[in-house]
Amino acid sequence: MSAVLLSVRGLTKSYGVVRVLDRVDLDVYGGEVLGILGPNGAGKTTLFNVISGDIRPQAGTVEYSGAALGDEAPFQRARRGIGRTYQIPRPYAAMTTFENLLVAAMFSAGRRERDAYAHCAAILHDCGIAERANLQAGSLTLLDRKRLELARALAGEPKILLLDEIAGGLTDEESRTLVELVRRIRDKGITIVWIEHVLHAIMAVADRVIVLSFGQKIAEGSPSEVMADPEVRRVYMGIEV
Amino acid sequence: MEAPVTHPSVTVQRQTTSSKAALTLAALIVLTIPTMPFWASGGYIRWAVELSCLIAIAQMWNLLAGYAGLLSVGQQAFIGAGGYALFVLAGKLGVNPFAAVILSVGLPFVLAIPFYLLLKRLDGPYFAIGTWVVAEALRLLTSNISYVNGGGGLSLRVMAEYSQHQRAIGITILSAVLLLLTVGGTYWLLRSRHGLALTAMRDDPVAAESQGVNVARLRFLIYIAAAAGTGLAGAVYYMAQLRITPESGFDPYWASICIFVVMVGGIGRIEGAIIGALVYFFATRFFGQYGATYLIVLGLLTMFMALYAPGGIWSLLTKIRDWPWFPTARLLVRNR
Ligand SMILES: Nc1ncnc2c1ncn2[C@@H]1O[C@H](COP(=O)(O)OP(=O)(O)OP(=O)(O)O)[C@@H](O)[C@H]1O
Ligand SMILES: [Mg+2]
Repeated sequence: MSAVLLSVRGLTKSYGVVRVLDRVDLDVYGGEVLGILGPNGAGKTTLFNVISGDIRPQAGTVEYSGAALGDEAPFQRARRGIGRTYQIPRPYAAMTTFENLLVAAMFSAGRRERDAYAHCAAILHDCGIAERANLQAGSLTLLDRKRLELARALAGEPKILLLDEIAGGLTDEESRTLVELVRRIRDKGITIVWIEHVLHAIMAVADRVIVLSFGQKIAEGSPSEVMADPEVRRVYMGIEV
Repeated sequence: MEAPVTHPSVTVQRQTTSSKAALTLAALIVLTIPTMPFWASGGYIRWAVELSCLIAIAQMWNLLAGYAGLLSVGQQAFIGAGGYALFVLAGKLGVNPFAAVILSVGLPFVLAIPFYLLLKRLDGPYFAIGTWVVAEALRLLTSNISYVNGGGGLSLRVMAEYSQHQRAIGITILSAVLLLLTVGGTYWLLRSRHGLALTAMRDDPVAAESQGVNVARLRFLIYIAAAAGTGLAGAVYYMAQLRITPESGFDPYWASICIFVVMVGGIGRIEGAIIGALVYFFATRFFGQYGATYLIVLGLLTMFMALYAPGGIWSLLTKIRDWPWFPTARLLVRNR
């Protein structure tokens, strides 16, 4: 297996008395697709927020490319190649879809404006929102907003891409297209961590899966191993497997 | 303006027909103001100067509150600082008063740095209160400095050395420069690379940060720039008044004007601050004599707009016709 790109140790985050992350350990290997599963409220998004620097943990460390991410602000982490999407899309509502991507291309990837144009136009095309290029992002449907989240993160040219539930609400056809797109992104050498409730999407593309429940990692392994785990089956009871 | 940027596969358009017309008109207005002493009466010149100051102050507040998300109710700190800097430079240190107006920007600029370092620790409403406290502190401090005649204020006697006509020429040129720097400067900034970051920050600072925008630094720079622009407007305004006191220069009423103008005109849009300033200015000229009733009407109008048209008059206008005066958008014209 290739080298560890991102390494999380003993990550702990509480809101009041509620422990949302409880001493989580996690390694992400360069070039892989790591799926993250877990019921609602398990702490998945919080894990992303800590990695991207949006929130600070009470304890634990995040190492990226062999160095600890200490006090680095989210914008510095983005520039170093940690890209993310938001579960509840956060478009720049009054800017156009195209401009949304330009922000990431210019400030995260550090492209010059003129170099960014063609780059962003191509990504809009790949993500299926090319016709929406000049629409205000705030006017997009939820589905298109999710596509925009992915497109914008890609425009930032991340080394590691944190995807937070981008497949919800897709038809089977759309979901297959998305899985294809994620594969292509992975094939370009981008490491992917994908939180997803849509299991078949994760099963189709993830190299490894970890499962969080109540802030703790309860399983880790290949998709089939994890799905065979009795504890995981118990936690996921009632949810389509 | 510039030709569309062409790339092997895409073209990006920055201007529209309406914006070309608006820019031409804006340039004409700015060029016309300095000619006013040769054809307009003193009353109209005063209008033009005051309106320029109002637009400048509003535009700076718009940048601050509308784009950077810094809700200040203490910009009067910089209006007063700019005004006082002028009166000290020209009245006490013998600097040419017209040159002193430009130099006056130094004081608000320098003050803004420690103010911001102090204020940046405060969030939301605490930030707003903090800006007000800072402005009040500056007012009290000024009232107690005997060098600037304490609460009695200062007069710009050196202006008596110039004829009415010379003064009018000087101050109209300064007003035009003020508009150019604040409105033109804001437009230039918003169309630049930094404008893209600033607009993203206006729409969602958390997302902007996650896309590599250094939100904290941008806020700092905007705070300083707005302080300088507001200070310049203060210097021009009080040069026209010929008199400044701590009560007038640091009057919290300036904050209410900013809020009214920008909220009613349309926050986060260059056009909004201009329209709001025009509405406020002419409303005050024509209905100001009704005193308290007039203020109540202004207050109600602000509340009405905040509730039913949060984008202000400008957003209502764009619903009728999307004809931007100062577009900042980058439109993808042809895609392969
Ligand atoms: N800012 C906050 N303040 C208080 N509690 C919070 C905050 N953010 C998250 N939580 C709580 O932390 C827990 C974990 O939230 P998180 O969003 O990480 O879950 P999740 O695994 O992403 O769930 P979902 O599948 O629903 O997205 C939840 O119980 C949530 O209510
Ligand atoms: Mg979540």
